[in-house]
Amino acid sequence: MPGLIGAFHELDATVSAIGELRRSRFNELTVYTPTPRHELEHALEAPPSRVRVFTLIGGLAGASFGYWIAVWTSEYWPLVVGGKAIASWVPYTIFGFEVMVLVGSLSTVFAMFALSRVPRLTMTVGYDPRFSGGHFGIWVATSPERAKEAADLLKKHGAVEVRHES
Amino acid sequence: MATAAAPMEPRPNVASATVRLPAVKDYEQIDREIIGTLRPTLGWFAALATAILCLLIGVAAWFYQVYAGLGVAGYHPPVMWGVYIISFVFWVGIGHAGTLISAILYLFRAGFRTSIYRCAEAMTVFAVMTAGLFPILHLGRPWKFFWLIPYPNWRLLWPQFKSPLVWDVFAILTYLTVSSTFLYIGLIPDIAVLRDRETNPIRKQIYAVMSLGWRNSDREWRHFTRAYLFLAAFSTPLVLSVHSVVSFDFAMALTPGWHATIFPPYFVAGAIFSGLGMVFTIIIPIRKFFKLQHYVTLNDLDAAAKMCLFTSLVVGLAYLTEFQIAWMSGNKYEQDYFWNRVFGQWAWAAWIMIICNMVLPLSLFSQKLRRNPSWLFILSIFINVGMWFERFVIVVPALSHEFEPWQWGSYAPTWVDYAILLGSFGWFFMWFLLFIKQLPVIAITEMKEVVPPRLRNVGGGRH
Repeated sequence: MPGLIGAFHELDATVSAIGELRRSRFNELTVYTPTPRHELEHALEAPPSRVRVFTLIGGLAGASFGYWIAVWTSEYWPLVVGGKAIASWVPYTIFGFEVMVLVGSLSTVFAMFALSRVPRLTMTVGYDPRFSGGHFGIWVATSPERAKEAADLLKKHGAVEVRHES
Repeated sequence: MATAAAPMEPRPNVASATVRLPAVKDYEQIDREIIGTLRPTLGWFAALATAILCLLIGVAAWFYQVYAGLGVAGYHPPVMWGVYIISFVFWVGIGHAGTLISAILYLFRAGFRTSIYRCAEAMTVFAVMTAGLFPILHLGRPWKFFWLIPYPNWRLLWPQFKSPLVWDVFAILTYLTVSSTFLYIGLIPDIAVLRDRETNPIRKQIYAVMSLGWRNSDREWRHFTRAYLFLAAFSTPLVLSVHSVVSFDFAMALTPGWHATIFPPYFVAGAIFSGLGMVFTIIIPIRKFFKLQHYVTLNDLDAAAKMCLFTSLVVGLAYLTEFQIAWMSGNKYEQDYFWNRVFGQWAWAAWIMIICNMVLPLSLFSQKLRRNPSWLFILSIFINVGMWFERFVIVVPALSHEFEPWQWGSYAPTWVDYAILLGSFGWFFMWFLLFIKQLPVIAITEMKEVVPPRLRNVGGGRH
C-alpha cells in the first residue's frame, strides 16, 4: 500500500503525532525508533508479543526430550550396577534442565525472527537510515485521497521531513 | 526499554543503579563515538599479532603432544589431571561474569551493566570457546571427542548419562550456544546502525547480511524486547547450573577434598569472581585506549568492584568452610589433605590463592580504591592469577594426596603445558581483539536507552 513517511527529531512530537493519527483513523502505522521506548509502545497500544508461547512450548519440549533421551538409552542398553536404578531421574534432571534451556532459548529466538518478519531481504518502503541514528519515523500506509491529510498531521506535530512513497 | 526520567539529584560519589552520563548529549554522539572505536590502530595490530603468535606456540605444542603422546604433558601417576583440567575450569569460570552481567543484572535492572555488558558477553563467548578446547586437548585421542555426544550410530552405542563428563558436554554446549545467541541477538540492532553509517559498499553489504535486514520498527522492538527478557530469564539459571555441573566433575568422586556438597555454590561464586576479574582486565584498557571514560564511568567500575568484593567474600567463606568441614568431619584423610594443602607440599600454591582471592580484594572496601582504575586493573591481574591457582589447588593436591601413603606423589607441568596455556590466552585474545574492531564494544542501542531522548517540550515525555 502506498503511504508517507514522517521523520521526527523529538520523542514527544512523535508520540503526539501517533496519537492524533490514530484518532483520525490512520491505523496502519509503523513506527521506527533507534531504541525501544515505552512512550511509543503505549501510544501504539500494541498487543503483547506472542514470543512467550513459543518459549513455553520450546522449553517443555526440550525438557521432555532431555529426560527422554537419557531414560531411553539407559533402558535400551541397561548397565546394571549393584542395586542401582537403571534410569535415575536425579542425574537425568541435568539433561532435562539443559535441553530445556537450549530448546527454549532457540525457540524464543526463532519466534522473535518469525514474528518480526526477520530476516528481511529488502528494506521496507519508508525506511530511512536516520531511524537507526537519532530520528524517529512514522510510516502511514494510506490511500492517495487521504495522503494530504496525513502529511498535514505529521507536519503539524513537527515532522522534519514528510515524504510520499509507494 | 527506557522512559524519559525526571532529573535526579546528582550524587557523584555514589554508584547508582540509575546510570547518568552527563558527558553524552544525544544519540548522534553515541553513534559517532562508539563507531569511531572501530578504526584499526597500530597498537591493535601489534596486540593482535602478539595474540596470534601465542596461539601458534600453543598449536605447535599441541601438534607435538598429538605426535608424541600425552606423556609429554607432565602427567605423572597419581596426578592424571593437570594444567588442561585446571585451565578448563579457569576458562569456564571466566565465562560466567558475562552472562551474570548481561542476564542477571538485566533482570535486576542494574543500570551500571549497560556500559560493560557487551564486552563481558563477548568475553564469555570467547572464554567458553577456549574452555571447550581443553577437555579435547586432555584426551589421548582427541579426534574421538564426539563420542561424548549422543548421536545415532551403527553400533547402537550411547554415552553413559550418569557420568559427569557427559553432563559437562551438555552444560558447556548449551552454555556456548545460548551465550553466543544472546550476544548475537543483542548485536543485531547495533549492526543495523553500522550498516546505516557505513560508506564502504562491501562492508555495508556484510553488515546488511549480519543485521538480517533489521529496521528498528515497533513490531521488531516489541518482539525483540520480549525475546531478550526470556533469554535473560533462561540464562540466569543456566549460568548457575553450568559451573555447578563443572563442580560435579570433582564432587562426585570419593577423593578427599573433592567429595563435598559445598562445591556447586563454591564454584559458582568463584566463577563469577574470576569473570569479574577478567572484565576489569579487559574493560579498563579499552576504556582508556578507546577514550570511553564518559561511557564506562567511575560509578560503573565502583558498582562492579562492589560485586567483585562480594563474590570474593563468598569465595573466602567457602575456603574457610572447607576447612571447617574437614575439621568437624573427624575424617583423617580429609584433615590430612587440607593440612597438606595449606602447610605441606602445596602451601605455596594455596597461599597464592588465599592472598590473591581473599586478602587483596579486601582493599575494595575502600571507595577510593574502587574508583581507581589503575588499582582495579592491577588487582584484576592478581585475581586472574589467584583464580587459576585456586583450580590448581583443587585439582592437583587432591590427586597427589589420596588415602594411602604409597599412592602419594607430586606434579610439575612441562613446557608443553605452559605452551598450551599460553596458546589458550592467544586464542582468547585473538578473538576478542578481532571482535572489538569489527563490532561495537559498547551496546549502541542500549546506551541510547540511557541517554534522555530529544524532547520538544522539555519536561514532557514521561508516562
